[in-house]
Amino acid sequence: MASISTRRRRLGVIGGTAAAALLLAGCATSDGGGSDLDGIIVGTTDVLTSLDPAGSWDNGSFAVQINVFPMLMNTAYGSPEVEPDIAESAEFTAPNQYTVTLKEGLTFANGNDLTSSDVKFSFDRIINIADENGPSPLLGNIESIEAPDDVTVVFTLKVENDQTFSQVLASPAGSIVDEQVFSADELTPSEEIVDGNAFAGPYVITDYSENELIQYEAFEDYQGLYGTPETPSITGQYFTEETSLKLAVQEGDVDVAYRSLSPTDLADLREQDEVTVYDGPGSEIRYMVFNFATQPFGTATPEADPAKALAVRQAVASVVDREAIANEVYNSTFVPLYSYVPDGMLGANESLKGIYGDGNGGPDLEKAAQVLEAAGIPTPVPFNLQYNPDHYGNSSDEEYALIQSQLNDSGLFEVELQSTLWDVYNVEYREGLYPVFQLGWFPDYPDPDNYLSPFFLPTPDADGNLIYSGFFANGYNDPAAIELIRQQAVTVDEAERVALVEQAQDQVASQLSTLPLLQGASVAVAGTGITGVEETLDTSAKFRYASLGRE
Amino acid sequence: MTVEESLTGPDTIKKPRGGGGSGLGRYILVRFLLIIPTVFILVTLVFFLMRVVGDPITASVGGRLTEAQLNERLEAAGYLRPLWVQYFEYIGQVFTGNFGRTVTDNRLISEVILTYGAATLELAFYALIVAFIVGIPLGMLAAYLRDRWPDAVLRIFAILCYATPVFFAGLLLKLTFSVWLGWLPLGGRAGTREQLALGRIDNPTGIYLIDAIRLGNPAVIGDVLAHAVLPGLTLGLLTAGVFLRLVRTNLIGTLGMGYVDAARSRGVRELRLVRRHAYKPALIPIITVMGLQIALLLGGAILTESTFEWRGLGFQLSQYLGARDFVAVQGIVAVLAVIVAVTNFIVDVIAALIDPRVRY
Repeated sequence: MASISTRRRRLGVIGGTAAAALLLAGCATSDGGGSDLDGIIVGTTDVLTSLDPAGSWDNGSFAVQINVFPMLMNTAYGSPEVEPDIAESAEFTAPNQYTVTLKEGLTFANGNDLTSSDVKFSFDRIINIADENGPSPLLGNIESIEAPDDVTVVFTLKVENDQTFSQVLASPAGSIVDEQVFSADELTPSEEIVDGNAFAGPYVITDYSENELIQYEAFEDYQGLYGTPETPSITGQYFTEETSLKLAVQEGDVDVAYRSLSPTDLADLREQDEVTVYDGPGSEIRYMVFNFATQPFGTATPEADPAKALAVRQAVASVVDREAIANEVYNSTFVPLYSYVPDGMLGANESLKGIYGDGNGGPDLEKAAQVLEAAGIPTPVPFNLQYNPDHYGNSSDEEYALIQSQLNDSGLFEVELQSTLWDVYNVEYREGLYPVFQLGWFPDYPDPDNYLSPFFLPTPDADGNLIYSGFFANGYNDPAAIELIRQQAVTVDEAERVALVEQAQDQVASQLSTLPLLQGASVAVAGTGITGVEETLDTSAKFRYASLGRE
Repeated sequence: MTVEESLTGPDTIKKPRGGGGSGLGRYILVRFLLIIPTVFILVTLVFFLMRVVGDPITASVGGRLTEAQLNERLEAAGYLRPLWVQYFEYIGQVFTGNFGRTVTDNRLISEVILTYGAATLELAFYALIVAFIVGIPLGMLAAYLRDRWPDAVLRIFAILCYATPVFFAGLLLKLTFSVWLGWLPLGGRAGTREQLALGRIDNPTGIYLIDAIRLGNPAVIGDVLAHAVLPGLTLGLLTAGVFLRLVRTNLIGTLGMGYVDAARSRGVRELRLVRRHAYKPALIPIITVMGLQIALLLGGAILTESTFEWRGLGFQLSQYLGARDFVAVQGIVAVLAVIVAVTNFIVDVIAALIDPRVRY
């Protein structure tokens, strides 16, 4: 039995430990004691590849760049249309010349003047550096750039009347940077950009820890489209786990969570009183691609038969139940997609809805069976379906398991489902190894052309040979569709262009190069009292901090 | 053994003949020289294992490059040369302290180590504190209560500590104390406001606790410590289990020795025997084992840091693994190998200084 003094000592140790723990917990819950930060904290799981616009072409990097670098043209809140940002005006002054006039007296936050020379420098360096992660392909139509005076920039274009060019200026290729800070022929390290205070957007970066924490302060001399920011101070915090981000916004550790939360977490957050889930129109799409060479009855298979191959594609289109995928897998954070250009964009139509399935978007197994029977195809049709589990979110597993189950349950198909990690997948799908496979798309700019040209126009390879079709290299070659898509890109009259976009979609829908499945909603979660979230959630996919404020 | 030999003791028998310096000097020299082959073998293994899966550039960025671009990058990085040429060049670089640049973000490996090493060091410090506070007293208690039911419970606890996968223990602690009870932060090294405050002090060390103390803000210190509790516990318990078993076994052995029996026969009570006579000798082997535990801690740190988003070297290593950046992985592992080898050397020397028997 322990003596009294021993017991006292034990109690002392236990008491001391408990007191230390309480003190710790007390300190830990003290709010705001760490600094004078009184702004808004925005959490994300996106990853920033490079702060330099020449070295990145991804959501995570653009989300930062859009808030600190100005653009000639930009998208106003709530609209996919572009308007002048730091430009005073922008227009075609000749079929192959696009002239931009800058506002007077523009400066960078470091005091350097922002002139047409900086604009020319910004675009030239992206083209010259041509970093593999950079957006130089978006500038493929630029022949040359001139800066005849301090406020005038003239872009000479290879293809005349390019109706997408103003959108390109508002894309990840359009950030204007300071030629006195950025290198002309190589990527500039983030530290040099921050130290050089080379910003002229709504915000400047004052503290920077890559993919951990970024502190933004409003730039008083910003003269662009978004005006004076509602909140002078914004902090961007990076999370590696969706669940951590979800708990952070739920606990109030971050004020706004934007990209990405899992459908399950979002469903849970919708039940919480402390936060509001904002759903905006999204521009992300998900679809299946058919490789015309290796799909069942494809041109490179022993039983090659284009008519039968088309019948297989049509039957799949009639079996897939998009509504079930959107609801069961994505808790309605995605909606069914029946066209190539998603809802909210110029010329969007539901070209597939009327011709496949029950005519209202639902599946029709009988119709699918008839198509296969008419083509003389014995069922079940075996085919390999490939998806990727690490690039389009954790729900891809469930999404493709459900698609497999829908196809198999129809009795018309016998699907072999396989998954491959992105770094291999990204190479192998282009090599035609996957007969039918999953892909998704975030637009570079909210224009219908960005959903058509990259997918359905042939692109030349290194030797100048044409590869059909676009970056899928899936062998789809439809001269009628190609002509319509090329025409719409250079048609000045908007009504005429919309008609061409609709015709192009109808034409592709009849051949089913790809099968559109889902359109993503743009979702953000904010704590009580945060305003301005709805304003910035639009089809531009640009999350602009300038609209965020507190009640 | 003759009577004379037994009187002079084993030290006399094993003393080096014909000069060669003191036993301690030789011991330190041999131990120091052993670092070189240890690091050499580890670096060689890592180099060839990394190449089993192909070249690092194709693995990490190949999908985003055309064939011409890829070949250009491979040529520039020297991956088109014979493997043995690459190997000897790499070995030469390693022994001059140049571990190369990462493929994914083109950073110097040494810069990565310096940036994130402090966080891992801080976590290892917390883990060692937990290991000492939990492992040693409980080991002593188990020895004191040997063969009774609390001893059995403590032994099971020790086995659970080092047999439970780190990520699983971490998730359990997170679920319990962060998600369900809401007492402690879920992850990270400090809150957003506190991190910003720490970044604003002049020349931060990167060890948040030191930076927070220098900042002199109790709330920041509390926040930093609160963030350290769960990762420190997770990693610390892993080592605590080893310490508990070791202390118990050594203490039981020591308690059975003659001088302890003599003290017992004088009427000294068992608890006093443990505290006054037995625990110090029993702790000496722990110092030796600590060197090995550093390697265990570094291995555990990779999983702990990933589980708690503790942005240290282990977290960064897991990110580079995910990105298939084998150059970064190879460089960081090589540096970790050097750290483990040097730490083992230091611990061996300390153990030899404390206990002369170790030298032989």
